[in-house]
Amino acid sequence: MKGIAKLGLVLAIFAAAACASLAVVYAITKPQIEAQDQIALTASLKEIFPEAVNFEDVTDKLVSKDANIKFLNAVLVKGENAPIGVAVKAAGPSYGGQATLLVGITLQRSIAGVRVLELKDTPGLGANANNPGYFVKKAEKVTFPGQFTGKYLTDAFAVKEDVIAITASTITSKSLTKIIKTAGDSAAEWLETVTADTSAETTGGK
Amino acid sequence: MKSLWKTFKQGIIYENPLLMLMIGLCSALAVTSSVSNGIGMGLAMTFVLLFSEIVISLFRKVIPNSARIPIFIIIIAAFTTMVDLVMKAYFPELSKSMGVFIPLIVVNCIIMGRVEAFASKQSFLPVVFDSLGMGIGYTWVLVAIAAFREILGNGTFAGIQVMPGNFQPILFFILPPGGFLVFGLLTSFNIWLKNRMAKSEKAKERA
Repeated sequence: MKGIAKLGLVLAIFAAAACASLAVVYAITKPQIEAQDQIALTASLKEIFPEAVNFEDVTDKLVSKDANIKFLNAVLVKGENAPIGVAVKAAGPSYGGQATLLVGITLQRSIAGVRVLELKDTPGLGANANNPGYFVKKAEKVTFPGQFTGKYLTDAFAVKEDVIAITASTITSKSLTKIIKTAGDSAAEWLETVTADTSAETTGGK
Repeated sequence: MKSLWKTFKQGIIYENPLLMLMIGLCSALAVTSSVSNGIGMGLAMTFVLLFSEIVISLFRKVIPNSARIPIFIIIIAAFTTMVDLVMKAYFPELSKSMGVFIPLIVVNCIIMGRVEAFASKQSFLPVVFDSLGMGIGYTWVLVAIAAFREILGNGTFAGIQVMPGNFQPILFFILPPGGFLVFGLLTSFNIWLKNRMAKSEKAKERA
């Protein structure tokens, strides 16, 4: 009995020391990790909408139609004087776990651009969705997310028909396409209601 | 000093964790599809190995024998999480491309094996040399496999295009079977190297 208590005590001391040192490292790196996420998000937004001036948070207004796909964040992107589109940060299941994408939608109901923010997938295969040097159309240097740029939401969004899959990663390709389509549809639907009374929304002074 | 040097060399060639002991292979083959991943994984592994071995060696007299495994795991897990956090904070790109394999260092048999077989019995200095030898031995093999696979399978080296533009990448090398093939070739190369070195040492002794 005494022996077990001693073992437990030693184990507890080691665990406590490990926790304490981890807490220190966590506290040091946390602001840096958050800053990195923010930088990545703003940079991606600016890439998709180069003429963007500021962003208005509209996260609560967009509803996902697919129970598995969640919208973490949504912004109305504004140019010099008028809105130019919507960007949705959407997360959904993919081959290696959850994938997070940033999808930009223009007022014309087309995809302004897609960025892969987080993807846990096999390096060299599905992770190529996030590789700027991997092209689904080699000659034109179009990446997997790049092929969606300019695509209209009325299109089929079917992998191996109008969407080119990543080699040996059909599941990843299909899951990502579904996230893009779901985010695009919801954003387009919401835009419908906004642009109907654009003057009221934008001059409402938010 | 001579025995320290020998300990160091053990990990790099004679007892190379990947090529001779053949442990920790799954993550090694999984991340070696690009050179930068190989370097990142190698350095992360060396860091965890070095600090876990040092801590365990320093406390080896107070770690009760019957509770040693959970204590080893706590120590290894703590250092692995630190590497993961630091990588996320300062090398977000690398951290993204390595995905789940950094947290999985915790259960890597190389670390568990070295800690159990070496660090829990040895003093500070040999442990430092052992972990550095093993770490470098692991890293060079990763980089070698990755270079082979990335150049042939993708036409690039550490992301830079090295093959001529009309080179058609051999996808086989990026896929898992290619990893096994390259690994097998390297293993036989290492055995050849080991035999050769043993022979030349014998020749020296005779002379």
